[in-house]
Amino acid sequence: MSGSGGHDTTIRGWAVDPGTGHEGAAVLEVRDGVLERLVWLSGADAEGLTPGAALILPGLIDLHAHFREPGNEDAETVATGLAAAAHGGFTTVALMPNTTPALDEPSVLGRVLAAAGASGSPVRVLAHGAVTTGRKGETLSAMGELADAGVVGFSDDGAPVRSATVLRNALAYAGALGIPIVDHPEDLSLTEGAEASEGYVATVLGLKGWPAAGEAGSVARSLAVLADVVRDVPGARLHLTHVSTASSLEHVRAAKAAGLPVTCDITPHHLALADEWIAGARRWAWEALDGDGRARDPWADGALVARPYDTSLRVNPPLRSAQDAAACRAALRDGTADAIATDHAPHTEVDKHVEFGWAANGISGIETALSVVLAAVAAGELPLATAVALLTTGPARVLGARGGTAPGLRAGEPADLVVVDASGAWTPSAASLVSKGKNTPLLGRVLPGVVRLVLAGGRLAYAGD
Amino acid sequence: MSAGSERPEGAIEAPAAAPAHWAHRHLLDVDALTRPDIELVMRTADEMHDVLERPIPKVPALRGLGVTILFYEASTRTRVSFEVAAKNLSADVVNIAAASSSVSKGESLVDTVRTVEALGADMLVIRHSVSGAPYLAAEIFSGSVLNGGDGWHAHPSQALLDLYTLRSRLPGGLLEGRKVVILGDVLHSRVARSNVWTLTAMGADLWICGPSTLLRGFEAWAARGAAGRRFTVTSDAGAALQDADAVMALRIQKERMASGLLPSLREYAARYGLTNERLRAARPDAIVMHPGPMNEGVEIAADVAAGPRSMVTDQVHNGVAVRMALLYLLAGTRRTEAGA
Repeated sequence: MSGSGGHDTTIRGWAVDPGTGHEGAAVLEVRDGVLERLVWLSGADAEGLTPGAALILPGLIDLHAHFREPGNEDAETVATGLAAAAHGGFTTVALMPNTTPALDEPSVLGRVLAAAGASGSPVRVLAHGAVTTGRKGETLSAMGELADAGVVGFSDDGAPVRSATVLRNALAYAGALGIPIVDHPEDLSLTEGAEASEGYVATVLGLKGWPAAGEAGSVARSLAVLADVVRDVPGARLHLTHVSTASSLEHVRAAKAAGLPVTCDITPHHLALADEWIAGARRWAWEALDGDGRARDPWADGALVARPYDTSLRVNPPLRSAQDAAACRAALRDGTADAIATDHAPHTEVDKHVEFGWAANGISGIETALSVVLAAVAAGELPLATAVALLTTGPARVLGARGGTAPGLRAGEPADLVVVDASGAWTPSAASLVSKGKNTPLLGRVLPGVVRLVLAGGRLAYAGD
Repeated sequence: MSAGSERPEGAIEAPAAAPAHWAHRHLLDVDALTRPDIELVMRTADEMHDVLERPIPKVPALRGLGVTILFYEASTRTRVSFEVAAKNLSADVVNIAAASSSVSKGESLVDTVRTVEALGADMLVIRHSVSGAPYLAAEIFSGSVLNGGDGWHAHPSQALLDLYTLRSRLPGGLLEGRKVVILGDVLHSRVARSNVWTLTAMGADLWICGPSTLLRGFEAWAARGAAGRRFTVTSDAGAALQDADAVMALRIQKERMASGLLPSLREYAARYGLTNERLRAARPDAIVMHPGPMNEGVEIAADVAAGPRSMVTDQVHNGVAVRMALLYLLAGTRRTEAGA
């Protein structure tokens, strides 16, 4: 490392650059933090450099993370969250504003950015501001001031914007500022008290159902409001976060075909896990489908191997059926979904080691996201280039110009990249996870893909063994 | 059933020709019980039933064992039934009626279970309003946990006593092909869910019936079956009751009207209430059951509840025998583990 803090290294591997569409064996030279040279290799020089060995990717971008500071530093701090992000290969994170107090005016953003600065982490912190004051769904937050302070989106995540009028005003006002509304689609009148996705698994387990209509209805409403708003405010943009059902994705698909300015993201857990995990199944969602694409029955095929009602699986929206997970992967493949976002939601043991229905919602996922996506790639569920784009250029497009430099492996610019040993494997555990949140159903599971090196903005963010 | 009075006081024989060794440390659900498991419970309950016929219905099988009954939900019959069952087996019984409250209002379940164990409990009977809570207790507790009813999920001892009662009234104790109807608020019923597993395991032709709002999710379950074992779901009470061998009515709670699931109790009683008139469609010797507590005049007519078909009192009596059997079998796994 040089005196200015910039990193020096030479990296050989299989580089995937969704910025240019290039993919292949390459050697990268980083000098004083700058990617000085990128040489695509062929023939004998490329020997041993395959997608199954060392992968070199642009630094990952997470559109949706909860770092809990200020207000719940027992669950996560900005510093621990950033360390976890780096461990997961992320060099940019967009934080959700459901802190205490909510990030509904610039001073709270100031606290978050100060904590990020104090952490010394080179991972770039972006933030979503609240849509409404106190996230109460009543009056608009200090949107203009927040825009001036640099927020990249507005979201009342954790709660939907209940009133269609408030949503309409928010889309219009934020649209004029060039900032998307990041909506958590949920019709609370259908989901009150819900514990698991409505359907077979929830019925057998006696868990109150969260119906698909609770999401799809909200998505349809938001799209209808958006269609009205864009006529007057062409800059209005809607981003739907953690979309989880086939029916919601159909609405998004149709809206995109109609030219509406809508984008959406899907979490790693909704694409790779299914509700049968709550019953004790532990197979990937793509392994839980029968030959006709229907969800298999874990009670009938001996798939129940773990204790049921594991609260690490309690999340909102809930884990869906294996068919919904398949629809999520299809949407990621065909462009209906624009990004994979972690919805990293760390919680304390106190909030999770309780009865299932009383446990806090959320999965600590920023460190396992890349591995879960690589598992889907290895299973042939997502092409590698698509998967990388969904974690880099996809989220960058959602963020637009406010997201900063577009991801890519470009010579002459500060190195912002992650090196992953695709042939390696690791096991998430309370010890191996950097996040304070150990609330992941993947604890103890061997996952593919070990992050070896992360450079963020030319500085070392993470170096593994 | 053999006559218990021929046996020396206090002795419990191993159930004759036991089809299986009882291998479950806990009884948290009935979904994993095999037919031999269930047969073993039934045979053991027969033995316990004999004990109950004695002048002093008490045996020392659980002497020195602490049984704690931890109920987070109001209950009279299940709690007292477990208490009587444990006392009949000479266990040291502790009763804890914890107010049903949110975690934030009091000690967590995890801490309570640790406390109960430190106070000497070897077996824990737990009732809780949240589905799955007994699994959390079992994760912490070093002894055996018996689910006394959790949320909408399971009520194993009730399903097994229902089965025991049905068998006592069916020729040869066989349920194969017998039409058993569960009628009422299925959505919120742990009794219904547990009965789906046990009754289908024993080969019954199970019909689940109620207003469509109270069957939510059960069509999806019926499409799969219980581990593949088929049953029928319908909102047509007439079709369900036609030629039924047994009908189990479930309690309708007033809260269901407030949440918009039913127009009125009057309408429910008119369309689904178990009346003698409606029972004419059933077989002449059909029996009627109810897990209690009953709303007479709503889900079951008073004359049906008190009539000759009613097995309600038998269910209560059999409940003690079945719960004795469960405590005895679980204590047995404890002894086996300790001796191993």
